[in-house]
Amino acid sequence: MSEAARQMGWVFGQAVIRDPTGLHARPAVKLTKLAKTFGAVVEVRAGGDGGWINAKSPNAVMKLKAGHGVPLEIRAEGEDAGTAVAALAALVDANFEG
Amino acid sequence: MAEALIRALIAAANQAVAAHRDELSGLDRAIGDGDHGHNMARGFGAIAEAADEIAALPFGKALQKAGMTLVMKVGGASGPLYGTLLMAMGKTGDEAPGTVADAAAALEAGIAAVKQRGKSDVGAKTMLDVLAPVAEALRAAPPDPRAAARAAADEGLAATRDMRATKGRAAFLGERSVGHLDPGARSSALLVHAVCDVLEKQ
Amino acid sequence: MSDNVSIVIVSHSRDVAKGAADMVRQMVGEEVRVAFTGGNADGGLGTDVAAIIAAIESVYTAKGVAVLVDLGGAETNSEMAIEMLGDGRGDNVVICNAPVVEGAVMAATEAAGGASLAEVRATAEDFQS
Repeated sequence: MSEAARQMGWVFGQAVIRDPTGLHARPAVKLTKLAKTFGAVVEVRAGGDGGWINAKSPNAVMKLKAGHGVPLEIRAEGEDAGTAVAALAALVDANFEG
Repeated sequence: MAEALIRALIAAANQAVAAHRDELSGLDRAIGDGDHGHNMARGFGAIAEAADEIAALPFGKALQKAGMTLVMKVGGASGPLYGTLLMAMGKTGDEAPGTVADAAAALEAGIAAVKQRGKSDVGAKTMLDVLAPVAEALRAAPPDPRAAARAAADEGLAATRDMRATKGRAAFLGERSVGHLDPGARSSALLVHAVCDVLEKQ
Repeated sequence: MSDNVSIVIVSHSRDVAKGAADMVRQMVGEEVRVAFTGGNADGGLGTDVAAIIAAIESVYTAKGVAVLVDLGGAETNSEMAIEMLGDGRGDNVVICNAPVVEGAVMAATEAAGGASLAEVRATAEDFQS
């Protein structure tokens, strides 16, 4: 993690999209719902390029083009940031089961 | 007596709609979903069934009750529109309109409410294209109000043929709605004639 | 469990309304209450004001109710239904300007997080396929 990012207090994580269809509607909804349970600011980014988008916004996550095999980067800032990142990464790793 | 008038109006409206049920649905099949006649028959049939209850009310309240019956029973998009028309007209006063000017005012109140409910206006190929000309004709204080109302209704209806629909299901047809009479305008014209026929006999 | 905005789906088709409600329940879960209505009094295609009122009342909460509709008549009949709720309840019910299925899913997703009625409606109306 860069010095600048550490100073800002962001927690980072990442997980690879495993579903052959990529991040489609049903997992997108699950991701958003989970993100909303945390007080931290939670953002995701797909494939390393493009801007970070609000993981709590159903529309933003729905529009994210994250295909099969793409690493989904996660970052969070706030009191439960660490838990948030871990939880989202775990969800993606579990291919959105449960 | 208001009661006799109300009963006569209910019977005439119900009969007019029932007699033209297939024609109305046919017009609706051309530019809508084909159920206008069926829906109107259901709604006015329900009013006829409640005639005893409705006729016992003061005229304005009777119109409101009839309007609410249409809202609940017609279904489709015309239920709220015709229901709103009658309810707004009924709210202008408990007594039946005593003069042509009063009738024009009641109809104008109904038209304003329909415009708001349907988010529409004249020229959009709807029932308003019959009702508004009828109200205007009455406002002009014609020597023969019934003849003027009938003529305005018929001309208004005919004018809808060349209009392009921008409201309701017909709007999806765009240019293809041109060349067809609007079913809501047709049913409005039928009702105007029915009312005029009743008033003639009073 | 704190209260969430609830969802009402109104379609000309009962199958579409039920299907949309099934999708919402499956994708979003049980914490958002969903009611649906479709078809006219004869069981044909259309909408019925009395049925819409009943649907809204079955999931009504002062937190808010977001209504999703398909074509024109569904919207006009829903507007009438809302006006007829009485006791000021209509103030807490809004019709969302969004496609009926997608809007319902997005609205329910937003609602599940405890969002306000205004936020739920904005999310539904922001949807672009």
